[in-house]
Amino acid sequence: MRILVIEDNQTTRQYLQKALQEQGYEVDLADNGQDGLFLALEGDHQLILLDRMLPKLDGLTVLSTLRNAGKQTPVLILSALDSVSERVKGLREGGDDYLIKPFALSELLIRIEILIQRKNQSSEKVTSSLQVSDLKMDLLSHKVYRGLNEIKLQPKEFKLLRYLMEHSGQVLSRSLLFEAVWDYQFDPQTNVIDVHLARLRKKVEFDGLPPLLETVRGTGYRMVASK
Amino acid sequence: MARVTEWWQASRKASSVWRLTRLYTVLLLSVVAVLLVVLYQLSIGQMSRQQQAQLESLIAQQTVLAEQLNTDEFIAQFKLQAESSRQYILTYQTEKQLIGRLSFIPEQISSCPRLTRFPIWLDKYDEIRLLSGCSQPLGAGSLTVAIDDEALYALKAQYISASVIALILALLLGLLTGLVFSLRVLKRINSFNQTAQLVEAGQLSARVALSNNNDEYDHMALHINTMLSQLEHSFETVSGITDAIAHDLRTPLSHLRQQIELELLDKRQQDQPTTQLQSMIEKLDEILFTFSAMLELTRLQQQKETKTQHFKIIDLSKIIIDAVDLIEPLAEEKEQIITSDVDLNITLKGDATLLFRAVYNLLENASKYAGEHARISIRLTESGFTISDNGLGISDNEKNKVFQRLYRIEKSRHVAGFGLGLTLVKAIVQLHNGQITLLDNNPGLQVMVEFPDTICCHNNVNKHTNSNGNNKEG
Repeated sequence: MRILVIEDNQTTRQYLQKALQEQGYEVDLADNGQDGLFLALEGDHQLILLDRMLPKLDGLTVLSTLRNAGKQTPVLILSALDSVSERVKGLREGGDDYLIKPFALSELLIRIEILIQRKNQSSEKVTSSLQVSDLKMDLLSHKVYRGLNEIKLQPKEFKLLRYLMEHSGQVLSRSLLFEAVWDYQFDPQTNVIDVHLARLRKKVEFDGLPPLLETVRGTGYRMVASK
Repeated sequence: MARVTEWWQASRKASSVWRLTRLYTVLLLSVVAVLLVVLYQLSIGQMSRQQQAQLESLIAQQTVLAEQLNTDEFIAQFKLQAESSRQYILTYQTEKQLIGRLSFIPEQISSCPRLTRFPIWLDKYDEIRLLSGCSQPLGAGSLTVAIDDEALYALKAQYISASVIALILALLLGLLTGLVFSLRVLKRINSFNQTAQLVEAGQLSARVALSNNNDEYDHMALHINTMLSQLEHSFETVSGITDAIAHDLRTPLSHLRQQIELELLDKRQQDQPTTQLQSMIEKLDEILFTFSAMLELTRLQQQKETKTQHFKIIDLSKIIIDAVDLIEPLAEEKEQIITSDVDLNITLKGDATLLFRAVYNLLENASKYAGEHARISIRLTESGFTISDNGLGISDNEKNKVFQRLYRIEKSRHVAGFGLGLTLVKAIVQLHNGQITLLDNNPGLQVMVEFPDTICCHNNVNKHTNSNGNNKEG
């Protein structure tokens, strides 16, 4: 797994390199837009981490050039420009995700994993139901069963559970869950997502049934892997 | 007509115009009245005084004669006098006879020098005329003197009607000129007021318009404009400095955070305790969050034009439903009840994420400060929405302060927060040209948010009415 990091700030670049290498990724580095674009076009990377404000060639230009050249490598934009319109701009140019600096390493790693997974699964067929252990979700009738018992969920809870089941086995951060269910781009900064998860868990893990939702300390949540 | 009543109400409301006009009119009327009185005294007054004096001298003359002459002599001279006098009508009545031009003496005639008017048939004019006259005892009988002053009375009547017309004209003129004058003054003052309101609303770049008159209003406007420029400058300096601090500190702090995270990674791999590093990161995140919030606030408050470019048509009811969905489990933990009334379908041009944050922030505040078992309700209105709770509320003198940056109400300092939430809400509302007002809910707080350009459709029945919470597990 090879990741390209295009970032002009040395501290951040080294930090990303070290953190990613510790996770077992191979890392290529570029400290300006021009070199970054060259490496991205030449190399075969699983993912590109792209800064917005770069010398020589700015991040958005690198991105659009890359896409115009037909390169579909997932791009995660890292930027201090945190307004919604900047974010929209980045995603419109072909970015796959947008993370605002400063970010937590765990958040970055989760999002990297999701992007790489998505890339691998993109050929997968559209499914009409999801299953994790004995938890079944019918996407057409919007019904959820644990074993034979139907679980009544509110629309937002259904969305939340669906996202968790779709990414079973993966750690998901609070902000990722919030964005997936509510579709607004900001971080509520409180434990509100935890409360939602706690409520969902109560509905899904009733009567002492084996737990399906794990809390990953300091990071987020994970639905147990489907077998 | 409608415009006149409108003007009338407006002028009564704008009390200074009304007061100035009234004052001016009263002054003008008193000047005219004094002039009329003086004119009267100099003309008609003078004439009637002369007449009175002549009557009195006539009476005095007859009195002297009556004393000096015996009765027959007096009567003889009186007859002569009565015949010859054209102007005065003299009559002398004794017990036996009536001498003079009057054929009878009216009963109600007063004693001299007070005059009474009485009707008399005069051969000369062949009509009934009103005479003024009086009588007084003289010798053995009584003397009656009368004068034909109908012309004088007619003059008086004419003078009075002329005066009334003059006063009415003066009143109209006074009202009109006073009004025109006051309205002009008011117009200038209003331009000052408008500028002040703009500044109050946070638009520090507003200035008072100058006229070409170079009068004292222009001088005042110049001073106010200079003052505003200085104010704007120092405001910019202050927010510039805080922003610069926040911005410059954000980068090294982010790097610090990165280094701590790397350290954390090492420790984790070596299975060493990490709680200390973890809490350092938490503290750092708090600082970074505050800095970001402050920078964001400043950005929201500045350069409104570029911010509103990406605005889209937004369904406000959906935003409220989403925000209620998000806060609902938190409120449930505190056993609070949230009700939402989103039957109206309201849309406006705006930024969905920002509006969602505003609504969510207000709901979160209500849940945070209203206490356990509180009732919180959110209701769509035609021009926005209202959030009410039955908690402690906010005292009147703190209602404005809560919108200030980093301001926290004394009694809520123990609750976690940075004092930026409501400031951010206000900035978001103002970015959408809206207004936010805090009202008493008796008890509790009511937050009213209004936008000027909402589109409302009453007849559209909303499909999401029951998506608010309070459901029990199914």
